[in-house]
Amino acid sequence: MAEAATQKEEQQEKKVTPTQQFWKSFKKQKVSFAAGIFLLLLFVVAIIGPWIAPYGPQEYDYDNLLSGPSWQHLAGTDDFGRDIFSRILHGAWISLSVGLSSVFIGALLGTILGIISGYFGKWVDSAIMRVMDVLLAFPGMLLAIGIIAILGPGLFNVVMAVAIFSVPVFARIIRSSTLAIKSTLYVEATQSIGSSHFRVIMKHIFPGTVSTLIVYFTMRIGSAILIAAGLSFLGLGADPSTPEWGAMLSNGRDYLNNAPHVTFFPGLAIFLTVLAFNLLGDGLRDALDPKIRD
Amino acid sequence: MLKYSVKRILGMIPLLFVISLIAFMFVHLIPGDPARLIAGTDATIEEIENIREKYGLNQPLYQQYFDYMANLFQGDLGQSIVTGRPVLDMLVERFGPTLSLTLASMAWALIFGLLIGVISAVKRNKWPDHLSMFLAVSGVSIPSFWLGLMMIQLFSVQLGWFPTGGIGGFETYILPSFTLGAGVAAIIARFTRSSLMDVLKEDYIRTGRSKGLTEFKVINRHAVRNALIPVVTMSGLQFGFLLSGSIITETIFSWPGLGRLLINSITARDYPVIQSEILLFSLEFLLINLLVDLLYGFLNPKIRYEEGS
Amino acid sequence: MKLSRLLTVLSLVLVLVVAGCSSGGDTEEDTSSSKNNDKKTPPSSEEGLTIAVESNFTSLDPHDTNDNQSYSAQSAIYEGLLGFDKDLNIVPVLAKEYSANEDSTEFTFTLKEGITFHDGAPFNAEAVKANLDRLSDPESQLRRASLFELVEKTEVLSEYEVKVTLKEPFGAMPNNFAHPAAGMISPKALEQSNQDLARNPAGTGPFKFVEWKSGDHLTVEKNEEYREEGLPKVDKIEFKPVPESGSRVAMLQTGEADFAFPVAPNQVETLKEEEGVSIETKPSLVVKYFSMNTMKEPFTDPKVRKAMNYAIDKEAYIKVVYDGYATQTKSVIAPNTQHYEEQEVYEYDPEKAKELLAEAGYPDGFETTIWGGTSSLKQKMMSFYKQQLSQVGVTLNVVPMEGGTLGDKIWGVDNPEDAELELYNGGWSPSTADADWGMRPLFSSNSFPPDAYNTAYYKNENVDELLQKGLSTADDKERGEYYAEAQKIIWDESPWVPLAVPDILYGKQDYVEGLTMLSSGVMDLKQAEIVSE
Repeated sequence: MAEAATQKEEQQEKKVTPTQQFWKSFKKQKVSFAAGIFLLLLFVVAIIGPWIAPYGPQEYDYDNLLSGPSWQHLAGTDDFGRDIFSRILHGAWISLSVGLSSVFIGALLGTILGIISGYFGKWVDSAIMRVMDVLLAFPGMLLAIGIIAILGPGLFNVVMAVAIFSVPVFARIIRSSTLAIKSTLYVEATQSIGSSHFRVIMKHIFPGTVSTLIVYFTMRIGSAILIAAGLSFLGLGADPSTPEWGAMLSNGRDYLNNAPHVTFFPGLAIFLTVLAFNLLGDGLRDALDPKIRD
Repeated sequence: MLKYSVKRILGMIPLLFVISLIAFMFVHLIPGDPARLIAGTDATIEEIENIREKYGLNQPLYQQYFDYMANLFQGDLGQSIVTGRPVLDMLVERFGPTLSLTLASMAWALIFGLLIGVISAVKRNKWPDHLSMFLAVSGVSIPSFWLGLMMIQLFSVQLGWFPTGGIGGFETYILPSFTLGAGVAAIIARFTRSSLMDVLKEDYIRTGRSKGLTEFKVINRHAVRNALIPVVTMSGLQFGFLLSGSIITETIFSWPGLGRLLINSITARDYPVIQSEILLFSLEFLLINLLVDLLYGFLNPKIRYEEGS
Repeated sequence: MKLSRLLTVLSLVLVLVVAGCSSGGDTEEDTSSSKNNDKKTPPSSEEGLTIAVESNFTSLDPHDTNDNQSYSAQSAIYEGLLGFDKDLNIVPVLAKEYSANEDSTEFTFTLKEGITFHDGAPFNAEAVKANLDRLSDPESQLRRASLFELVEKTEVLSEYEVKVTLKEPFGAMPNNFAHPAAGMISPKALEQSNQDLARNPAGTGPFKFVEWKSGDHLTVEKNEEYREEGLPKVDKIEFKPVPESGSRVAMLQTGEADFAFPVAPNQVETLKEEEGVSIETKPSLVVKYFSMNTMKEPFTDPKVRKAMNYAIDKEAYIKVVYDGYATQTKSVIAPNTQHYEEQEVYEYDPEKAKELLAEAGYPDGFETTIWGGTSSLKQKMMSFYKQQLSQVGVTLNVVPMEGGTLGDKIWGVDNPEDAELELYNGGWSPSTADADWGMRPLFSSNSFPPDAYNTAYYKNENVDELLQKGLSTADDKERGEYYAEAQKIIWDESPWVPLAVPDILYGKQDYVEGLTMLSSGVMDLKQAEIVSE
């Protein structure tokens, strides 16, 4: 997915400005650049995590419950005596996938709907946007709770719930940038020559929305991870024996007093990841948005 | 403006209709039988049948929906299956606490968000900017239940400054509204920053500066007003976020509001309460956004409402 | 609009909102928060006690209630003809004495005299009849009607004498009279609609109802005319629902709560270090188990079911899940339940489990699925079984389901053959503390879902007969023999893996005395007092 995003970035830059220029301005955003590198490392960890983790994610030790950080257990052990550090490494992949895949599905649907809505206008636009209004008017957490209640708990259903959460947000944003692009003479001219709608959308409209898409995409990943954690808190998240960070954080909350390390490390992992995605999003926005760039 | 508001409000009615239908289907799609849940673990079949009959749960679904809608038009939201009380009474009781918590959170989120945002934009790329943006981004990066629980530990248990929960005087609002508003404050700060940075580049600001006005005056008088427009829209959308967030915050801080009622009703499959709460939440969201749109026009008289819709 | 002006306006809004709310809040709130400042000074008896509980109260009509927490608040307001003492023996409360005929179809109560309800109505035989008529009316649709569905008629013999006649013999009937749902409501209050009664109670108990703001607090005050001299000892009790267990513990730490129930086992450590707070424990009536569907392969084979019993280390279970605050269960009912009979435990022995599995034709184990609730404790239990069973080659899929969904999946099935259920992570607490209600709903072949809770689909004709015999006699000794026999057979055939009897855990400030929890999970408030040096 990360690869796909970079490809998109590249395409985008070829069209509007050279890639080098994007790089140049992105590198100026030192904090975001660092966040980007952090995330790259995180992806590497997520992939090789299971091999470098000192213990298995389910390896229990009933004689060593809730022990604090030590050389044996860098981040201590949890209420089953499992090594928290290893669980964080094993869980990196799961937590990132929850964030990425849910936002990806939400962005995909939202973008399709937003472009259709903005491009065709008229009744199509009003129909789609009314549906989006209904979705937006439904408080998001409520929607997610409902979806989980209907589908049952489990990681996949959490992903679906969070994805549906994101659809109207993307649809709205993409619609407005579609409208902006459509109104440029350039597209109108192409249309009058007689290209098919699909061709116009793919060649002219979609590339124009990509920069907005990327910025919101990175920012929503953070919220997706947080929503998933919130669902765990309400008992509607992933199976708590999976080392998903949100589930780990929420399971450990009863030990805030006597074993704070059980929540501290997963909490820190979530915090840093969400922070990095947000900082990256900020930097990308500054670098991609010509209005803000100097 | 009045005409526009009336039009918008009328436009909400079909929307609410659709929402009520969705809410009804949604509630009945959730697997589970309220009668069995309410009857409890050691209830007999007859007891369960009794409850079903009492609340019309043995009727066909379309019949239940028509009954619900018919009552709704007479201003009757039905009876809670769990407590047997009229749903309207329950909602009225819970609405005040949630609204006041939401407003308190929004108010301080706006105060801090705007301040931080303005400071950042003015001191762009200097350390106050980096620091405040780091703070702002941190605000949206912490799971709210963790933040809330840690604040209880620190400010209630260790320092003894504020009560751990419950609703009451001023001091009971501080921790919950901070927990609930942190994310929104952060979002507002970031929006203010970028929006103000856009505005600061505009011609009239340059003119103002060249006229020799102090930087403070330029910003306070000209820039902020224009920069506020997108911030206001964003804040309106964030109300929805606050309503969602109230579910978690109210649970942690034992706040007697709608969010907690909702989660309890879902667990108990208290259909009439869930349906009415969904409607209420949606209505609240729609009204707030109408208000935001009106405020929009107030901030920028150039916008004519006919276009705005 | 200028920024500075906008900020001023916003600050004003903030102040107004908060000021508006604080003036709306009642004065009691202020005392509770000022209490916070001077940490843990005992409140005066006028200020009364604050009790933090887990969830919202549902009703104050005992006849229409089935959660222990609502019973706790009701027990302050209502009393029954009979009741349970601290060891769950049946004692007369509003009755002076009672007697039953030999085949337990007729019960005669002599009532205490000179008692009035909170609303001034006198307590007499007519009042008792009004209550029992309401409970036994098949049209009543009350949640607790089942406790009295066997009542054929209630007759007033004299002003202070009542006779209750049952349709068929029922030996455990006194337990039903002692159940908190059998509280006596003022006949004047009974004239209200059910809905009003749920929020405007009037009983004979030590405390009178003051107000109830759902989700926030429920307050009761001293009944000055209480029949027992010198009781109650506090003027006021306020219950506060606090759903998050960490927040309840925090309230004990800050002194905002004087008493909190329940305390999560894993938070006991924290409170132990807290000065002035003590933790009390007592065994509950709950038996935690997981059942195996005996009509489904491979659990049709008793060897497999025994192997499961040997495969689970119950001591580790108690340590990991309950932080030690539970006892190993040695029967299918808890020791405090009447007619309990201890059995020989299946000691943890994974080797033996593997042998048994091999004998049963599963040398490489098998894969199976357990269903259970979503609470963190229940999920923890199921993760634990998964870890343990993996050691004997059994792969366990854990499927947590929300209460409503679970109910549908298990009790929505009419035909036992269609049941998808394999293992079910359950817990049972007989609310009447009697062996009958501890076993019949779980092991009688008439109790298959959807009728009751025999999730093992266990059927044994001897057990069925013994349970029936136990019902139709009032002789305690005889009943005891029947139930002992039934427990032995069930234990031997092991349709369950019985795990533990968890402790009831509650925390209180040291200055609170006399306030306890009964094993049934209902609070006993009558003797509550604040002891200040």
